[in-house]
Amino acid sequence: MNGHPHGEVKITVESDIAVARRAVREVAMQIGFGPTEIARIVTAASELSRNVHKYAGSGVMQWNAIDNGSNGGLELLFEDHGPGIADVNEALREGFTTGGGLGMGLPGAKRLMDEMEIQSAPGQGTKVVVRKWRRQ
Amino acid sequence: MQNEAISVIKLRNTLLVTMPADPDDSTVAALQERTLEAMSQHDVRGLVLDLSKVEILDSYFARTVSETAQMVGLMGGDTIIAGMRPSVAITATELGVTLGKTRTVMTVDRALEIAAQPDKAGKTRR
Repeated sequence: MNGHPHGEVKITVESDIAVARRAVREVAMQIGFGPTEIARIVTAASELSRNVHKYAGSGVMQWNAIDNGSNGGLELLFEDHGPGIADVNEALREGFTTGGGLGMGLPGAKRLMDEMEIQSAPGQGTKVVVRKWRRQ
Repeated sequence: MQNEAISVIKLRNTLLVTMPADPDDSTVAALQERTLEAMSQHDVRGLVLDLSKVEILDSYFARTVSETAQMVGLMGGDTIIAGMRPSVAITATELGVTLGKTRTVMTVDRALEIAAQPDKAGKTRR
């Protein structure tokens, strides 16, 4: 996996959410996703980077072009050192919110992507990984 | 990078507001203020919100759009949302966002046609 295209966007101010979206759009296009898949990936990236900004204040998004041998895809990792999530299952429940939002950030992003993994604990920050594979 | 400006123009009795392709949060927030200010400055019956350039509608953007339509309603105007791209409609639905009861049409042309129709409720304006 060495040498695969990758990069990162630091999320420190609100306008970095749009910077993250643009970076994701560009790489998704390069990987060859179609317009609807790009819209799904960019929207998920927007929700997840907004979570980083809203709950942790700052963090980072890393993107990696991935390949499982038969399919190419895109992996996005969002990491922050914020308050963390006490109950990840609850955070994934529809409509659950602690940040005054609509509570669709995490479950919505999960629906838009193929895979999602969350590592978090109170006081430990949050790490969210999402992946999208190209359809043949 | 790309055009981030919201365009607001008055066309006869309607305010036509066009959103850029990928507005950041502060641009989205400006939608509410600019629209409501323009509504009160001009004597218009309603708002046509052109989303044809918009490439993504995340939960924040969608909430702002539906809130703006609600506020325009409180001021006595009608809102028509026009031109949502298929990829945006699919994604917004999967994400779980809705635009409330706001009327939506396929094109700005169609929206302006509807906006120009005489007011069925018999409200007298102008």
